[in-house]
Amino acid sequence: MDFIIEGIQKAFQLIFFLNREIFNIALLSLRVSLTAVGLASLLGVFLGFLMAMKDYWGKRFSLALMNTLLALPTVVIGLIVYSLISRRGPLGVFNLLYTPSAMVIGQFILATPIIIALTHSAVQGIDRRVRDTALTLGATEIQCAWIVIKEARYAILAAIIAAFGRVIAEVGAAMMLGGNIKGSTRVMTTAIALETTKGEFGFAIALGIILLLVAFSINILLHYFQSKMS
Amino acid sequence: MDKSIIRVKNLKKIYNNRIILDVDHLDFQESKIYAIVGPNGSGKTTLLKILNLLEKPDAGQIFFKGQELVNKSRPEVLKIRRKMTLIDQNSFLFHSTVYDNITYGLKVRSVPTKDQRDKVKHALKMVGLSGFEDRRANQLSGGEAKRVVIARGLVIEPEVFFLDEPTASIDQRHQDVVERIIRNISDEIRTTVILTTHDLSQAYRLADEVVSLLEGRIIKKVPENLFKGVIEEKNGVKYFKVFGNIKFTIAIVSDKVGPAYISIDAKDIVLSYEQFQSSARNTFSGKIIKIIEQNHLVKLEVDVGLSLVTTITRESFQKMNLNLGRKVYLTFKASVVEVY
Repeated sequence: MDFIIEGIQKAFQLIFFLNREIFNIALLSLRVSLTAVGLASLLGVFLGFLMAMKDYWGKRFSLALMNTLLALPTVVIGLIVYSLISRRGPLGVFNLLYTPSAMVIGQFILATPIIIALTHSAVQGIDRRVRDTALTLGATEIQCAWIVIKEARYAILAAIIAAFGRVIAEVGAAMMLGGNIKGSTRVMTTAIALETTKGEFGFAIALGIILLLVAFSINILLHYFQSKMS
Repeated sequence: MDKSIIRVKNLKKIYNNRIILDVDHLDFQESKIYAIVGPNGSGKTTLLKILNLLEKPDAGQIFFKGQELVNKSRPEVLKIRRKMTLIDQNSFLFHSTVYDNITYGLKVRSVPTKDQRDKVKHALKMVGLSGFEDRRANQLSGGEAKRVVIARGLVIEPEVFFLDEPTASIDQRHQDVVERIIRNISDEIRTTVILTTHDLSQAYRLADEVVSLLEGRIIKKVPENLFKGVIEEKNGVKYFKVFGNIKFTIAIVSDKVGPAYISIDAKDIVLSYEQFQSSARNTFSGKIIKIIEQNHLVKLEVDVGLSLVTTITRESFQKMNLNLGRKVYLTFKASVVEVY
């Protein structure tokens, strides 16, 4: 029992004295996940919007596919990206394996379907009259699209935040693609996994607390935007 | 001199293999108010949307100031479309402030920000909502929201202003306000106003000209006492049964059987205190429920199980000493009933 209490005590010490290693790990986590979600938002909001507004052949299929990808296991993403970027893979020449970029790619693949699916339902929930009204006031097609996205802004932000929550807490792809290299690709989740098996409970718990705080902040933000919507 | 602003020729719109609009010719003159009347489903809204270039007709031509539009390129159509605006029956305000809503049309036209504030102020003044700039759209009452929607359309100074059922779904007090605003639009900024309504009296109050639409076609006379129903034959004689009021049958003369519309010209209905012997086959009794003065005529609405309108001269109105609630008889010949 003592090791748990000692671990918690140690964790608070580490956080309180701003342990360098812990904060570097936390910052790398944020950097990788924010980059991945930022890129995924650009693509995901655009595609989600198009899927909601346009009629095209295979629409139902693509929607079903996106919803399936929501449940994509992170280790499967790790496996696929690994096979592409490992030295023998088609993208091997770029030497991406075991770099933060590799983790960004993995998290990007994880985040994009979430943003597409949630943006799609956000845009679909927007009153048809938004577009009609914009047209009667002289808007072009692009201006119409922009006002629809603006009307859906809170729901789209909620989609992006949800995706961020998923990728920051993800461990499989980060482990397989980043390799958990100290000072280079070690992020919060992979560090927790390693330190726990090493018996460094204090270190692991400290990172766990920070991860929980991030998750907590994300949820506060999510609630804020959701209350704005109604 | 009268100048044509919008003219349409041989306009057709087909939906689900049914012709829902079939207009041979229609001409709107600059700075006049037009009312398009007709029952629900007569094609009023579709006509407005086509005139506002939001929907394409399946056949026919539209001219804006003599310029043919249907086959124009998109940028050219946009240019003309931006000279007009349409206010939907179920109008919508963006989830934002009144100010942001009204400036939308200015923003899409790239009007400089510094000019926007004055324009918004002026538009809000025209609808009697000065100082409402910072209100949230979702905190307005139904009537206020309608007026903001009108201001949002006015601010772009359109040459043609389309209003689809502008006073449907708002309370009586705001109906009067909205009617006054519509008159002002025409008087002050000389915009052509084209509105639809199913309220004939409103059409006459507001419009310089009334266009009547029935099942997608323009009918020459504006039908008063228009009813939808079904024609039945009994012992070789035709009767019309009004929908929603099956007991009410009107004797008519027609070759048709089955669903139809009828109208009875208000001038063809004779009003009397007593029932009298005549060749006319339709006589109904009821109470006067509305009296409207119209220059040298007086229009009376009588509830005979459904509401019928009759017009009499001012002289006979005074001589007969009529008032609200008075029981009267309405009589008309089967042959004056117009069947569509």
